[in-house]
Amino acid sequence: MTDTAVRPRPAAPAVPRTRRTPRQRRATRNRWLWAVPMWLLALAFLLPFAWMLSTSLKANADAFTVPMQWIPDPWRWDAFVEVLTGEGSIVPAFANSVVVAAVRVLGEVLTATMAGYAFARLHFRGRDKVFLAYLATSIIPAQLLLVPRFIYFQQLGLYDTLWALILPGMFTVLGTFLMRQFFVGQPAAFAEAARIDGANEWQIFWRLYLPMATPVMSALGILTFVWSWNDYETPLVLISSPEAYTLPLSLASFTDEQGAISANLTMAASVVSIIPVLIVFLVLQKRFVRALTHTGIK
Amino acid sequence: MTAAPRISRRSLLAGGLGATALTALTGCGGRSSSPATTLNVWGGVPAESGPADLIAAFEEAHPEYTVNYTRFINDDRGNLKLDTALQGGVDIDVYITYPMESLALRSGSGMGLDLTDRVAAEPGFEPFLETEAPRAFWQDGRITALATARSPRFILLNTAHLEAAGLEVPSEWTVEEFVAMSRELTTDGRYGCYSLPDLPRIELGPNYWYTDSGDSNFSHPVFLEHMQLSRSLIDESVLFPWTEVLARHLEVFQQNGFVAEEFSLWATEPFSLRYLQDPEEYPHDFTVAAAPMPTVGPDSWNSGPFGDFLMINSKSTKQDLAWEFIRFYIKEGPPYLAPGGRIPTLENVEDETVLTGLLGEDADDWFDVDSFRRVLFEDETELYVDTNLTAYPEIDLAYQQQRDLCLIGERSPQAAIDSVDSQAQAAIDRFGKES
Amino acid sequence: MAVSVAPAAPAPSAPASQAGPRARAGWLFILPNLVGVTLFTFVPLLSVVVLAFTDWNLVSGLGGIEFIGVDNFVHVVQDPTFWGSVGRTIIYAGLSVPLTVASGLALSLALDRDIPGRGALRAMFFMPYIVSTVAVGMTWLMLMNPSAGVVNQFLAMLGLADLPGWFASSYWALPALIIIAIWSGLGYAAVIYLSALQDAPTDLYEAAEVDGAGPWRRFRTITWPSLLPTTVFLLVTLFIGTSQGFGLVALLTSGGPGDSTTVLPYYMYQTGFQFYRFGYAAAIGLVTFVGVLLLTLAMWRAQRGRALHD
Repeated sequence: MTDTAVRPRPAAPAVPRTRRTPRQRRATRNRWLWAVPMWLLALAFLLPFAWMLSTSLKANADAFTVPMQWIPDPWRWDAFVEVLTGEGSIVPAFANSVVVAAVRVLGEVLTATMAGYAFARLHFRGRDKVFLAYLATSIIPAQLLLVPRFIYFQQLGLYDTLWALILPGMFTVLGTFLMRQFFVGQPAAFAEAARIDGANEWQIFWRLYLPMATPVMSALGILTFVWSWNDYETPLVLISSPEAYTLPLSLASFTDEQGAISANLTMAASVVSIIPVLIVFLVLQKRFVRALTHTGIK
Repeated sequence: MTAAPRISRRSLLAGGLGATALTALTGCGGRSSSPATTLNVWGGVPAESGPADLIAAFEEAHPEYTVNYTRFINDDRGNLKLDTALQGGVDIDVYITYPMESLALRSGSGMGLDLTDRVAAEPGFEPFLETEAPRAFWQDGRITALATARSPRFILLNTAHLEAAGLEVPSEWTVEEFVAMSRELTTDGRYGCYSLPDLPRIELGPNYWYTDSGDSNFSHPVFLEHMQLSRSLIDESVLFPWTEVLARHLEVFQQNGFVAEEFSLWATEPFSLRYLQDPEEYPHDFTVAAAPMPTVGPDSWNSGPFGDFLMINSKSTKQDLAWEFIRFYIKEGPPYLAPGGRIPTLENVEDETVLTGLLGEDADDWFDVDSFRRVLFEDETELYVDTNLTAYPEIDLAYQQQRDLCLIGERSPQAAIDSVDSQAQAAIDRFGKES
Repeated sequence: MAVSVAPAAPAPSAPASQAGPRARAGWLFILPNLVGVTLFTFVPLLSVVVLAFTDWNLVSGLGGIEFIGVDNFVHVVQDPTFWGSVGRTIIYAGLSVPLTVASGLALSLALDRDIPGRGALRAMFFMPYIVSTVAVGMTWLMLMNPSAGVVNQFLAMLGLADLPGWFASSYWALPALIIIAIWSGLGYAAVIYLSALQDAPTDLYEAAEVDGAGPWRRFRTITWPSLLPTTVFLLVTLFIGTSQGFGLVALLTSGGPGDSTTVLPYYMYQTGFQFYRFGYAAAIGLVTFVGVLLLTLAMWRAQRGRALHD
């Protein structure tokens, strides 16, 4: 796994993007020379997924046999049927996770982009002090805030509702910090020019800087989505009714009373729960590139 | 630039999602308390291994009531969930507490209704009033929880291996005899036993971590003995290697190793019997017999506790109904709960009924039924309830950590026990004032 | 966390423009976020500060909070487990984060070319980042089984004799966690780098090539500087990811064997949610917080000082 880390400068940007004919044949050969090891590495990377899939298709006890049993014998689909339609079906939790993640992503990307932009590009009294406070809190481990948030949401009457998961996730210090980091690197000259042309601050942000930021916003969106999707501790403390469970809680409930995880059910549920994230990723990944080609900063 | 249209599309999407979210949020947002005829019960046993049947029976006997059962997972996180739910004012009327430290916390914080008068008024509940060998949890002279299950420990034996080695199922034995049999059952590629029974518990019984004056008791020789014997038997390959236990998290999956015939003897509790009659998930082709826990002398304890502490939430507005449920649970519940490995504290149900529940429909296919009858109902097993729980979680962790280091061969038994002793004493000194 | 102290915006002629519509706009822009952060982060943080001076077990409710002065802090600084956790956290984050970033960079450079199935490859490498920790934990436990796991079988094939004990060894458990963390984060880092590489100044490459610059020089002088902001981004997100993502520890080792994988966030969790010493957990968190804060400030000062001298 780590070999990529130590491989010395494997790939300086050697393949030029230009298409000079004399080079074309060599480029084609290079293509395949690179492709083979990359695919091998990728397959090695996916080995754990093969194991997950295989476990989801066999009897629970077979998951732990030594040596590992890679091919299920016999093949069983019941784990998938069980996690989708059974008593502890993950479908409602799935819907909750989607709602929480979607609202969080939208809120986070919007508020963090605006705030990050202001911290980077606008000057106002107290800005640095507020930002310092932001910086300081960005290093707080989330567990530290769990209990106070629990008390807090309980007082507000939001304990055991999805709001308890959404609200703190919509306004984060980290997202703001990341967006600021991006805007700091963007030229100020555009704004000055636009101001001279009589544009107001909102127009400058919305028309000039926001379009530049779409790739970073997509990245923040993916991040927020993944964090939200896999967050286990927060719902553990802030949610109690099964109707409000999110996926990680639902996933963790496939254990028996001794705390032993039911491997096949957990894996089947995990396999199912990867799919939407993969879709979100594939969609946003395209947008990275598209956004870049459209913004004209390339 | 295409920014503008894209953004308006995004806001459209946001609006749509917002509407969806709103329905989902309000759908589960309201937590108004349930009607007066609905009882909310939280327990750690999966509904399908007993509680669902018990509740169905209760609802049949009392058609005017409804019972909602919420299952929580009985581990640190699951108990945390119950604690926050209790503290967060979630509508819970009856709940079951498993770990002793949670019991002390919940009872000590007033989360358990005082049941003393109701118990005293209930014919047949006298054993709960006993204070010598308590079967209830007493807080300042009042009962706040009832231990509804006995979890005697016993040794399960793979009879196929016994026969192959020409050995008999013992009906009583000492630790030496137990070790000897483990050695005889050890073959190439198979271990005699999963782990050594908890010798300190067998010798010392309740509150075994504390001296009479409340200090750390780990300097008692039996702790060192237990560690030394475990370690040397692991080195001899008689006990299952602890490195494998850690590498496979086998502590919570012991049944897998037993079913896969990786070892022949297994010290466990009644809940494990469920796995051994489940040919779907745990296929195996040998029968299982039971032997009592080995002894270290005439005054040996069984290392199993009374457990499953039933409590009424002191915030419950339906305390009478809750008590009605508890009465039913204790009096009529055992046959329904036995399949989940629950043996009732009160001997108010026929042994055979419980035995059938524990061993299942096809008991003879999977078990040497007589040996179980003998071990579970004829032996006089001394169970315990710990009452001193000073710095319990800290000591528990220190012990586990040092045991792991010792049994994987990284630390000597003496060094490990010394470390537990000093850590336990430090924790007792620091938190002792609390109990 | 030195990365988080990138000097405040170039801040040119700031004082002149501090009044007027721009100043108001500034506040309006941060307002939504600031209100939310104040309500859901700053205020809870203040209650952590209060809790750190108390003895409280959660179950007893707000009425059960008992003030005990600075006791908790006295214990924290004398607590060997605390200091041990600090050391392990530094090792864990200090190795897993830079290694993830470095290998992510290498991978992104390897993928930043016309390879058949590039999109699929990207998705494959990214997948580990999105799987639930529960599944990741269970799977790696099997793969890293010292006697029968695929990892050790592979190492044995390479001819290694003394195979690592992974989770059954207090020396190998932390390295095992680091490896899994890299596996999880590598594809994420590579994907972020890849999107940044799209942005690399192509014309400069051509010019450099014409000038006869070798691949390493071109990388150092052109690619790397253009990737710097991305690197900072990755370091920060991964660092915060590791400090929060103690899920692996909880699922795979529970801090053991011994206390060999008890990193700070896990120790805090243990103290709070396993021992129910919420006051003490708050004190641990606060001491950590203040420590990192002081370090960050010191670095910021140093950086500023240097900037002034330049």
